[in-house]
Amino acid sequence: MNLEVEAALGMSRKWNAREAGREVAETAIKNLTLPPDFFLLFSTIHYEKYGGFQEFLNGVWDILPKKTPLIGGTVPGFINNYGCFSRGTSALAVSCPSMDVVVGVGRNTKRNPHRAAKRCTEMIQNGLKESPYKNKFLLNFISGPVMPSIPGLGQKKYIRSGFISKFAIQALNLSQVLVQKGLAREDEVFEETVKQLPDYQMILGTSMDDYRGMKNYQFFNDEVLTNSVVNLGLATDLNLDVHTTHGMKETDQNFTITKLGAGNHAICKIDGKPAVPELLRLLDWPEGFLNEETMLHTILYYPISLKRNGRAVPVVMPLIMKDYIIVPCIIDDGKVSILTVSGKDLINAVKENLQYFDRIQPEFGLFSTCVTILQTLGHRTNIVQEELCKYFKDKSFLLFYSAGEGTYSQTEDMTYANMSFNTAVFGHRN
Amino acid sequence: MRDDPIAQVLDDLLKLDDILACMVARRNMISVMPSDEGFKPEVNQIWDNIHRAMDDVFGVIGAYSQIGLGEMEFRLQGYEVLFYVFPDTENALVAIVPALANKGLLEVELENARREILKIMTNPNQTSDSKKKDDEVYVTA
Repeated sequence: MNLEVEAALGMSRKWNAREAGREVAETAIKNLTLPPDFFLLFSTIHYEKYGGFQEFLNGVWDILPKKTPLIGGTVPGFINNYGCFSRGTSALAVSCPSMDVVVGVGRNTKRNPHRAAKRCTEMIQNGLKESPYKNKFLLNFISGPVMPSIPGLGQKKYIRSGFISKFAIQALNLSQVLVQKGLAREDEVFEETVKQLPDYQMILGTSMDDYRGMKNYQFFNDEVLTNSVVNLGLATDLNLDVHTTHGMKETDQNFTITKLGAGNHAICKIDGKPAVPELLRLLDWPEGFLNEETMLHTILYYPISLKRNGRAVPVVMPLIMKDYIIVPCIIDDGKVSILTVSGKDLINAVKENLQYFDRIQPEFGLFSTCVTILQTLGHRTNIVQEELCKYFKDKSFLLFYSAGEGTYSQTEDMTYANMSFNTAVFGHRN
Repeated sequence: MRDDPIAQVLDDLLKLDDILACMVARRNMISVMPSDEGFKPEVNQIWDNIHRAMDDVFGVIGAYSQIGLGEMEFRLQGYEVLFYVFPDTENALVAIVPALANKGLLEVELENARREILKIMTNPNQTSDSKKKDDEVYVTA
């Protein structure tokens, strides 16, 4: 039995925040015959300088029917049926008679991720507890990492020398708790969310700016937030599935983490030796090769495969503090492999991911993908868009870029990764 | 120049923080410049050297664009110059960016601009209304 689902994409490339907000809502709504049951909204950071995000949201609400559940936030880029973009805004609006929808919010994710996750999931549970529909989905969208603000140094991703470096880990903790600048702790929010809602299939994504890691915003109905988690929860009779692929391969370069710190976010020692000098030796990089300017263009392309509760967690290494490697999630000690990935591997990961959904006739799709993939592929990102268009044909899809992403289902358990491709497809099983 | 749709595409690019200069050019000639205020001031001190190097690069583009040369780039001091060649021509969209810019994100918009300029070049009558540009959604082929 085909259900009458309508899914429409909105988009704007206008510079003015209010005008862009109006246009992204208008272009979505005009393709629906019924009011939307939800509105997912993503934009790049540029509107901050061209009117601000409250004005942007005001423009959206000039057009969107009142009380439409809306979540989203800032992202470094997105892909949809129209193309690939690192400037602008895009939205996915869905109307479905057999769907119940609720949105939730939790605040202060960097300071207290568990409480934020619990508050947010309570709203989802309360909103959908009476729903008769059996298939449940959650988009878990969390404020992404922001460069820690270190007294005397400002926002840096590489701190190895100087007086302040001696207290780097303590400074990171202070920055995290006091001003909520630092690691996103999205893995902790996600783990708690999965614990609270184990019967939901989920996609995890994080909000970001234009890859500078200076600030990011989340949208919850008509509010612009920071350091928050926003959830879209839905129950439906549509079939749905989620899946993660990444394409990274192990190399023969391995090491063992022998000491962790900073709440198991920092690799302090590798094979019994200080982590950073030992890592440089393993990679055959001279001391001084890594610095504030070169970090983004070097170490982010050497992901490592860590472990967490027995799961493989492939991640990039975003921060260096003294001799410690800061990783984006909580990890366990033990054996680590340095990974490698090529542009071709990334494209193949996309194809492999879509093949997983061969038995679903799609109505719409939602994707969360790592921003390092956008950075790596550059203008070849269009190849990804072409693959998505081949699968979805005339059905709407929206991919947003993240810094920390994953999926969860009861059959595949939780996957958290960087440089990964995470998909949710909604439709009808063949 | 203000009503030139290609100049308007360049204006959009120049609004991005890390695009210091952009133009449509060929060897010994800049065909289209942004219509607003020109390049960003930090480019001025190195422009002469970059301009000379560009002309040398256009020699290579001229030799190989007919057999599928798509993009070229070079780094000079603290800057990178990116060339997005218009297929089968000796012209290119040229952009100057800081050497350590987040190039991947910029490349996405440079590719969008190349495609938009190509559309304008091949269908000049359809884009004669400058107001229409604001309402257009970029659509890939």
